Parts: sequence; structure tokens; C-alpha cells
Amino acid sequence: MHTVLTRGNATVAYSLSVLACLTFCCFLSTVFLDYRTNANINTVRVLVKNVPDYGASREKHDLGFVTFDLETNLTDVFNWNVKQLFLFLTAEYKTSENLLNQVVLWDKIILRGDNAVLDLKNMNTKYYFWDDGNGLKDNKNISLYLSWNIIPNAGLLPSVLSTGRHTFKFPSEYSVSPI
Amino acid sequence: MLDIQTHMDYVGQSKAERWSRIIITFFGVVGLIWGAIVQQFSQTVYVLGVGFILSSLITIPPWPLFRRNPLKWQKPVSNNEQKQQTSESGDEGKKKKK
Repeated sequence: MHTVLTRGNATVAYSLSVLACLTFCCFLSTVFLDYRTNANINTVRVLVKNVPDYGASREKHDLGFVTFDLETNLTDVFNWNVKQLFLFLTAEYKTSENLLNQVVLWDKIILRGDNAVLDLKNMNTKYYFWDDGNGLKDNKNISLYLSWNIIPNAGLLPSVLSTGRHTFKFPSEYSVSPI
Repeated sequence: MLDIQTHMDYVGQSKAERWSRIIITFFGVVGLIWGAIVQQFSQTVYVLGVGFILSSLITIPPWPLFRRNPLKWQKPVSNNEQKQQTSESGDEGKKKKK
């Protein structure tokens, strides 16, 4: 502490240590919170087609077309350790070939300060609902659920499942009309 | 030339270190509480930044406040006195002169 430089060095180093400590406190204050909330999901129109999957094998695979309603309030999820949410809507089902299939149909980023009250009506999916075979036609138990990643200032990157699933079934006939 | 003092005495150095610790810790704690109230961690960082600037201004430059306890050096011994002392000290001094 005998020269200006050593004092400057000590001040900077101590400030950074304190900053690390505060960040850890921020992490501790939010690590045990329960981020789950309810989301109401509903499907409006459900179709299934049998079309060649040029992205993969070029064989004819099942392609689902779904429009959905989504209603949820995520305002309570935000706190001082949440910078943004990455929402994604997953369809989960079982086929004779695979015990567990998960397809992400839609996603959305909500930044802090954005409107976190979602009331979406008749939304199209953002991504194709491909099955890797013919498991969608006449599938009686497809469940849709919303989950989100929390991008924090400091700490874990939790993936949270919303409560509230929607179960629907695909028709037993392929649709031939153009969408 | 301007006679700008750049040193701190020992008591001043200890004071400066203690005050810089106190100021930064205080602003850190206040910032944490304020950030928790407004639920905005950036506010915590800004308050800590204010503490850092304040502490830098107060404790880094060698203000006169940190120079109040100068060391008491012994008076410099002049050349004549040194000769007298050596002659008084007896045999050893004489031997060295030879």
C-alpha cells in the first residue's frame, strides 16, 4: 500500500472479489425457487399427411400439421436472476418403433421487460412435425407441453416443464387436400 | 518546482487500506439490498461501481490526511561529531585510523 499503483491494484482486486461475492448471493437467492407455472394448450386443427421426407431418407413419412392455442402468464417467472426465457412447445408420443418421440414444434424468446402474458390463438407450428416413420396416423395419444429454459445472470440454466399438458389424437386417414 | 508529496506514512497506509475495504464492502451490501428490492442485478453492480470510484478517490491519492504521522528520524550526525565520537571511543578507533 505504499504507492499509488499498489493501492489502485488492491482496490480493483477487492472490488472484483466483492462483485463475485454479490453475484454468488444473487445466485443463492434464486437457486431454490420453483419456476413452474400453468400453461393452457389446445389444438385447433389436426391433420396428418404422408409425404416424401427429402430431408432424410426420401421415403414417405408421416408429417403432422397442427395449429394450437397457447395461454400462459410467465410474469412471475422473472426475477433479478432471469435475463430471458426460451420457450418451446414439444410434442411427445409413442410409436411401435420408438418408445419415446419428442418433436419441438414451436419456440419463442421472451426477454426481460417484454410482455410475458401469452394468449396465442390458432398458431401455426414453426418447425415440421415429422415422424421418422408412419407413427402419426391414427396415433391416439400425442401430448403437447410447454417448457422453458431460464437464462440467468449467474448460476444454473434450468429447464422447466409447465404444468398442464394437452393430449390429442391424429385422424385415422391421411389428408390429401393441399394445406 | 512544485513540492508534491507522493508518499503515505505507515499509519496512513493502514488507514487507507481499512477505509477502502470499508467503503467497498458497504456499497456492495447496500447495492445487494437495493438490487434485491428493485429485482435488478445491474443496479447492484452500478452501486458497487460508485463505491469503487469513491474508494479510489479517497484512498488512492496520497492526501495530506494520510501523512499526519511522519516517522521521527534521528538527526543526521555531522562529520565533526563523528570524529569526536570515534576518538572518544578509545582503542578501536585508533587502530582503524592506522
